Amino acid sequence: MRHTPALIMMPVAAFVCQVQAADYLSTAEAQAVLFPQASTFSRQEVVLTKEQLKAIKKASGVRQRKTMPPIWRAEREGEFLGWFYVDDVIGKHEFITYAAAISPEGEVRGIEIMSYRETHGDEVRNQQWRDQFVGKKADAPFKLNEDIINISGATLSCRNITDGVKRLLVLQEMVLKE
Amino acid sequence: MRVKSLIPMIGLLGMAGSAEAGENLLGYTKGAEVLPKGAAELYQWVTQRTDKGQGEYTAYDLKTEFEYGITNRFNMTGAFLAQSIETSGLLIDGYLPEEIDTGLEPAGITVGAKYNFLSPAADDFGLTMALEGAYMWKDPHSGQDKDTFTVELAMYMQKFFMEGQLVWLGNLGMESTYAHRADIEGLPADFDWPTEPEMEIGIAAKTGLSYRFVPNWYIGAEIFYEEEFETEVGSERWSVFAGPSIHYGGARWWTTLTWVTQLKGGGEVYEGQIDQNLHLIEKTEDEIRLKVGYNF
Repeated sequence: MRHTPALIMMPVAAFVCQVQAADYLSTAEAQAVLFPQASTFSRQEVVLTKEQLKAIKKASGVRQRKTMPPIWRAEREGEFLGWFYVDDVIGKHEFITYAAAISPEGEVRGIEIMSYRETHGDEVRNQQWRDQFVGKKADAPFKLNEDIINISGATLSCRNITDGVKRLLVLQEMVLKE
Repeated sequence: MRVKSLIPMIGLLGMAGSAEAGENLLGYTKGAEVLPKGAAELYQWVTQRTDKGQGEYTAYDLKTEFEYGITNRFNMTGAFLAQSIETSGLLIDGYLPEEIDTGLEPAGITVGAKYNFLSPAADDFGLTMALEGAYMWKDPHSGQDKDTFTVELAMYMQKFFMEGQLVWLGNLGMESTYAHRADIEGLPADFDWPTEPEMEIGIAAKTGLSYRFVPNWYIGAEIFYEEEFETEVGSERWSVFAGPSIHYGGARWWTTLTWVTQLKGGGEVYEGQIDQNLHLIEKTEDEIRLKVGYNF
């Protein structure tokens, strides 16, 4: 057909655009927000065994992808304040990177979205949505529309962040409990 | 299959660089997710249909669709259809009355609604019902004038595996059609071109998988069965198509390229049809579909 290639390319060309990834916080910035009173963050080397990965999946319901998860120990002049985690979960199209602060007793102190690149659901960055996790322990339901409010248009992101926080709580309980 | 004319756009997509994604992981099987309240999406589809076994046949179907989220579960859609048919060296009694090269011309409009009952992420299994009404004034097979009113009811199902890295999609649909062909002057006396109104019922079952192999990129495969019933002949046609897809998606726009080929078909055959294991009167041997979506 005579005009077809141009006709096909017109809409495609119209949509060709560059969308930059939205990185909101660096690791140091997230550490400062979640543990403002901490004076030192020391990297905690953790290498998970196959058995531990399997046990985390069984207890949390989702896979722990990284065998060496990035974890820091937060302290203030020798006083242990808690664990700081940087974790990735699957978003609709890209990984969502978030940080979680968990107390030595296994309670969520807070979470921060470090990068989010999805079409909808930027509301996961809102304080109100993130505050739903504060105080939760590994035995909480962590169910969308039950104890965590869903954000329409970003359900997969909400689900995977919710599952991710529960997985970190399980990981801490199994591997880092002191 | 003629892919020459699609090569430029594939190249353009390759140069598109980094950007983001959305729905429609496959070309034919749809997902159960809907837009949230107040969100809108513009889609452009281009489908190339080629090869009826003999002669030359190339058709392009264009669909420009707008979808809007009325609520978080209820979406409305509206679309404009255009088509181009070029055929030579093949006449099919009752279906392809003359050689034609229509160029691109407006062909129809659609209006639809979708309601999401279950979310694949929140409820573990996604379920959406869709209702669409279409009015076409051009026959998508012959390019001749033909008024067609269609109502389609479909069920879209979706399931996430591996935290959403692997996605299963399934569709079931049924459509009812009322059609009325216009007269064509100068046809041979023995050529069958009925102009009485006809009624048809069609059913479709589609399924496919899509896997995200790196961020933003999915590969997939789907297979679908379609059958159409008509008062005069009962089962007029059935066909099974299957093929792969590649999907790229980002925060604002996404694109999906799909090729499907007819594996098996049946029902009516045209006089002199060589491969009797395919339905080649209303279907072709191959289809290529490109979809682009832009989120507002």
